[in-house]
Amino acid sequence: MAGAGGGNDIQWCFSQVKGAVDDDVAEADIISTVEFNYSGELLATGDKGGRVVIFQQEQENKIQSHSRGEYNVYSTFQSHEPEFDYLKSLEIEEKINKIRWLPQKNAAQFLLSTNDKTIKLWKISERDKRPEGYNLKEEDGRYRDPTTVTTLRVPVFRPMDLMVEASPRRIFANAHTYHINSISINSDYETYLSADDLRINLWHLEITDRSFNIVDIKPANMEELTEVITAAEFHPNSCNTFVYSSSKGTIRLCDMRAAALCDRHSKLFEEPEDPSNRSFFSEIISSISDVKFSHSGRYMMTRDYLSVKIWDLNMENRPVETYQVHEYLRSKLCSLYENDCIFDKFECCWNGSDSVVMTGSYNNFFRMFDRNTKRDITLEASRENNKPRTVLKPRKVCASGKRKKDEISVDSLDFNKKILHTAWHPKENIIAVATTNNLYIFQDKVN
Amino acid sequence: MECALDAQSLISISLRKIHSSRTQRGGIKLHKNLLVSYVLRNARQLYLSERYAELYRRQQQQQQQQQQQPPHHQHQHLPYAAPGMPANAADFGPLQLGGGGDAEAREPVARHQLHQLHQLHQLHLQQQLHQHQHPAPRSCTAAAVVAGAPAGCAGALSELPGCAALQPPHGAPHRGQHLEPLQPGPAPLPLPPPAPATLCPRDPRVPAACSAPSAPPGAAPSTVAASSQPASPAPSSSPGFYRGAYPAPSDFGVHCSSQTTVLDLDTHVVTTVENGYLHQDCCASAHCPCCGQGAPGPGLASAAGCKRKYYPGQEEEDDDEEDAGDLGAEPPGGAPFAPCKRARFEDFCPDSSPDASNISNLISIFGSGFSGLVSRQPDSSEQPPPLNGQLCAKQALASLGAWTRAIVAF
Repeated sequence: MAGAGGGNDIQWCFSQVKGAVDDDVAEADIISTVEFNYSGELLATGDKGGRVVIFQQEQENKIQSHSRGEYNVYSTFQSHEPEFDYLKSLEIEEKINKIRWLPQKNAAQFLLSTNDKTIKLWKISERDKRPEGYNLKEEDGRYRDPTTVTTLRVPVFRPMDLMVEASPRRIFANAHTYHINSISINSDYETYLSADDLRINLWHLEITDRSFNIVDIKPANMEELTEVITAAEFHPNSCNTFVYSSSKGTIRLCDMRAAALCDRHSKLFEEPEDPSNRSFFSEIISSISDVKFSHSGRYMMTRDYLSVKIWDLNMENRPVETYQVHEYLRSKLCSLYENDCIFDKFECCWNGSDSVVMTGSYNNFFRMFDRNTKRDITLEASRENNKPRTVLKPRKVCASGKRKKDEISVDSLDFNKKILHTAWHPKENIIAVATTNNLYIFQDKVN
Repeated sequence: MECALDAQSLISISLRKIHSSRTQRGGIKLHKNLLVSYVLRNARQLYLSERYAELYRRQQQQQQQQQQQPPHHQHQHLPYAAPGMPANAADFGPLQLGGGGDAEAREPVARHQLHQLHQLHQLHLQQQLHQHQHPAPRSCTAAAVVAGAPAGCAGALSELPGCAALQPPHGAPHRGQHLEPLQPGPAPLPLPPPAPATLCPRDPRVPAACSAPSAPPGAAPSTVAASSQPASPAPSSSPGFYRGAYPAPSDFGVHCSSQTTVLDLDTHVVTTVENGYLHQDCCASAHCPCCGQGAPGPGLASAAGCKRKYYPGQEEEDDDEEDAGDLGAEPPGGAPFAPCKRARFEDFCPDSSPDASNISNLISIFGSGFSGLVSRQPDSSEQPPPLNGQLCAKQALASLGAWTRAIVAF
């Protein structure tokens, strides 16, 4: 696992950084989601401006075997545009909330991207040949005067510069009253779910004009509202099972075979609150911001404001592991509430073997927890270490008392620099870490 | 958790957030506003508990001046248990009333105040009990208090009022927090914080809310005497008594109801719901001028509203309950309630900052519940007043009509 020492520990090295260098961040450039595809060859990011940028890993260069392939821009397209709902006088943001890849079935790649209201299925395909030698058209596309055609020829395909095209194949709209926070593709690869604050809908990838509501927690009277859905995900192996997390810190596992409407959960995962930690903000910090199944499907991980918890699906009353991400913030909740940072929704991710979990923090720090060795490390995504293969130095935050050398005190953390979105390559030790408007790619040191 | 902010600033910050969220791009974020409403309620509970503490302290001082007897507080617990409630109603150490022996010697006004306070907290505690279904029954006995009845929470025995439970567990006092004097007997108990009452009325608290306040103060002495056992259900009160108690100056927790129009965006159905809100200083005077003035109610159902008046921490859940209140805690004349005028508040608490009265009026506006906090008026030509904590009470009152006509965005 990542550690400062040698041995079998991984040492993380800077690989690349994508994005503008300016300190002045354009709002549209703020990265809002990061996702590797199933093979890890492609890395997609979505931003607040509604754009999707896909990076492709170049094939490993056998000569330069000291590093894995770099990720270069593969395709960029505008996925969502701002819209206005005239009926409700609401502007619908174009910010991409989530991207999920479909497994590859043919030469083209497919991904789902969603904003607050609409989900789109995009096909990304390559074109590296084009037909030439039409009889009725000039090379530039203008039609020839038929009277000038004197001979016939067969058009042939000639190579051209690689062109990557993205086209929307399906648009799944008008199914959500509230803001969509999650999409998850079923293991049957035919259906997927989309979750908003109060409802979860089940879609078929081929059918856009209807969806099936499977969870509805909207109370009859909105004044009775006590919790909302914050994240949802299908089980990686069981196509009938999904989970959704709530703002109250609970996770419900539902089985679609039990009933058409899965309002009644099959399992409820909840840890009793520690009364000694009670505060004004207990409800806020217990709200779950992300839930992710392990690749094996045996565990799931939840992220609340201060911690990461690993749950065994067979045990509902408490998590099997809890990792404190930035406990030193517990005494700062008041100021974090004032500056709205307490509402930040951090995501979390597993590595390919489910042995390490990663999540982000403030000051462009991100944290990794090794489940086997119980060791953790804090690293920083910063342009200061931007020489390739520079090993990242572990960082440490000093909660109180005397600050040691190289430690950072809590009060000097920059809460505007937050890492909310991280992704881990499904097979290798390559991670993508999104700061506000930059994407960092780190790899383990390959000797 | 050490908090640099006191309850009032937290309330004003929260209201500011809610207000600004209405103009944010992308529409109102339901999740964030729900969380802010929780903070708002927590802060309000603490704010109110400070008021109660103040009141109790004054009452204690009055008693000690008058009687010059050692208080029996630490030995007497008043396990008011509503009929039908399990006998494991929570203790309320800090609100122990003096024993029945000197009840008659007490100043009636203070006693009434205190009983109202007591019942208020009793309701609150019972509601929280019901809400969270603590598995371990709590004994109301003094012995249990001393020994520390096992509870669902870490060894803490008394389910102190939810507002009090919001004290920082490490003992760092909030500014202005005066809960210590409320416990003249045992050392301050650790605070088991039941999660604050949530907005869910589906819990069977209606009977508790309805019946608990009916325990007349007159039953106190008898139950005090029987303090070694879990309290027998208090005899149902005579509504007359309760009404009689009402005119006593009350400086806290009177609930009035107003109506909020809610537009369901899914079904496009417009419904009108009743809210309870905190009627801060509704003095229970015969005039209750505030009740006759202020915002024009969309017909305020005072009966239903009054029922919940001693229940500041819970009014969200009580919004729609059609309780057949026999408490009749409405002022004589049954005039519809409205948020109290600022003047009355300041009468009671002359040393309060101007913000306090603003806050209390804002509390009364937003005491209703989530929809009261998140409201939009796309049709209203009036703009709501800016919620910056400096809100003028008059402004708040003038715009109350607008708020109550608000169309909830969700």
